Amino acid sequence: MMHNGVQCEFPPGYDGAVLLERLQPILDPELDESILQLGFIRSLHVHDGHATVVVQLPTSWCAANFAYMMADDIRRALLTVEGLHHVTVRLQDHFAAEAIETAVNAGKSFADAFPGEGCGSLHALRMTFLHKGFTSRQERLLRALRAAGFVPEDICALRVGDVVVQGDACVVQRAGQAPREIDAAETLCRYLARRAELGLDCAATAPLMTDRCGQPLTVERLEAYYQAARTVRVSLEANGLFCRTLLTVCQPGVGERRR
Amino acid sequence: MYTHQGQDIFVIDGHTHLWDASPANWRNKYGEGWIKCFYAFHSALSPAEVTWPFEKFCQYGEETMVDDLFLNGYVDMGILNSTYLYEFYLNGFNSHTQNNAIKAKYPDRFILCGSFDPRAEEAGLDAFRHMVADYPIQGLKLYTAEWRDGSRGWRLNDPWAYKYFALCQELGIKNMHVHKGPTVYPLSRDAFDVHDVDYAATDFPDLNFIVEHVGLPRLEDFCWIATQESNVYAGLSVAMAFSRLRPRYFAEIIANLLFWLGPDKLCFGSDYAIWSPKWLIEKFMAFELPDDIKQEYSVDLTLEIKRKILGENAARLYGIDIATQKAKLRQDGIGAKLATVA
Repeated sequence: MMHNGVQCEFPPGYDGAVLLERLQPILDPELDESILQLGFIRSLHVHDGHATVVVQLPTSWCAANFAYMMADDIRRALLTVEGLHHVTVRLQDHFAAEAIETAVNAGKSFADAFPGEGCGSLHALRMTFLHKGFTSRQERLLRALRAAGFVPEDICALRVGDVVVQGDACVVQRAGQAPREIDAAETLCRYLARRAELGLDCAATAPLMTDRCGQPLTVERLEAYYQAARTVRVSLEANGLFCRTLLTVCQPGVGERRR
Repeated sequence: MYTHQGQDIFVIDGHTHLWDASPANWRNKYGEGWIKCFYAFHSALSPAEVTWPFEKFCQYGEETMVDDLFLNGYVDMGILNSTYLYEFYLNGFNSHTQNNAIKAKYPDRFILCGSFDPRAEEAGLDAFRHMVADYPIQGLKLYTAEWRDGSRGWRLNDPWAYKYFALCQELGIKNMHVHKGPTVYPLSRDAFDVHDVDYAATDFPDLNFIVEHVGLPRLEDFCWIATQESNVYAGLSVAMAFSRLRPRYFAEIIANLLFWLGPDKLCFGSDYAIWSPKWLIEKFMAFELPDDIKQEYSVDLTLEIKRKILGENAARLYGIDIATQKAKLRQDGIGAKLATVA
């Protein structure tokens, strides 16, 4: 049977929804989008406490380091599910499938997968892309604020607590002023989630707009900051789009349907 | 030549290949995987009526290339981006030797790129001199993700790369077409990272670095570097192919490039045979930036700018006088054929 476009096979009476929930937050680190939404998870089978996940990346040449990260994240996420004792990740049509699968499925590091190829830790790479994702998510919020007519002085004065989720929207709500809807709730939630993930202050009194190190953006700096952030967002989105388009060739209909 | 409202627009396709990826030339599964990946790019973004069967895509030959570029594709001149991949293809994917076969037949139509691999170190310097002496090499294609003896790539700021750049200066080869790929040493780093371009461009101010595919998937890093370095240019292949299915993103990419680099640094490329210049150029000429994007970025894609992108910028990089070149091109076999059609 199909769940969220993933071909699933579970034992009778087994509730597989929890597995998909655990997979949902796993991101393609390079694109900052959920691999489930991107359509990278092809199938998910559970048998005797053993989950097998087949992953299809957009091309056989997707970088080995990102492929490893996604495969490793999948395995770790599923091993947190009660009753699952063993997880096997398969990379379909990937140039380094064998090396990556062998390492990931044995819980070994990236350096173990490619001995002698100068593989240090992937931490720095992951951080670089968490930061790019931060900038891109923030740009959407900034863009929405600008479009809603907020001038730099207003934007830089906003506190985290001034923007709230109301239903499907995010709304600027300041004392003594009429609330103003600015964008979908997701725009705010994604920004704040990444901000928290980076360990930045998310208290209601903290400035809403800071750089990735937590420094508040000043009025003088805002325009140049926005211009650079805009390019990061276009780059990430264009890459996501490219990957999605490529995936429609290896799995006709998938990348498009899930969007 | 593209004709727009009676005006001729000179076209240089900055990124073309004449490759042999036929199964007989595959050295291993990587040769097969490589061309299948290219074929996925081709079939995902090309219009259905110009999507080829896989067999044709593996090896299409000179005649098809001449038709697609010059006779039907509006292109006046093409830059042959030699890409070697000897670890994947027995005779190479499209080496300068392979590409030179078509260059020799139509010498005024093509600019031939050679290459160097800094991992060949001292011995490679001599081979490089020979290549430049024996072939009409006018530029280089540098593919930093090429595999070689267990290594998955190199960087433009490697010490040996600098010795080759110094030799390029000595030999008068100025234009470096740079491309990144997915697997570069060390594997834990970002394989598409473009920061090495920054070092090389600063240290070799007399050389030009044309970054193919506008640094995608690292457009932001590329734009930043190109803004700092006056000798860094953008090759538009891959980005061009967004124009049909994703015009909004194409507009945003072009607006960013115009905003950061300006209109004199952008060069058209099809990446033939992944995509064919005919439809790319038709789409591009018909394309206009949406008003909101024009306003937000304070840029516009005018006819004058389109002319620069399609040919004038690349002509300047290669010292081509367009009027003289047009006269020359009218005289070759292709020019004669085009004249009879017109």
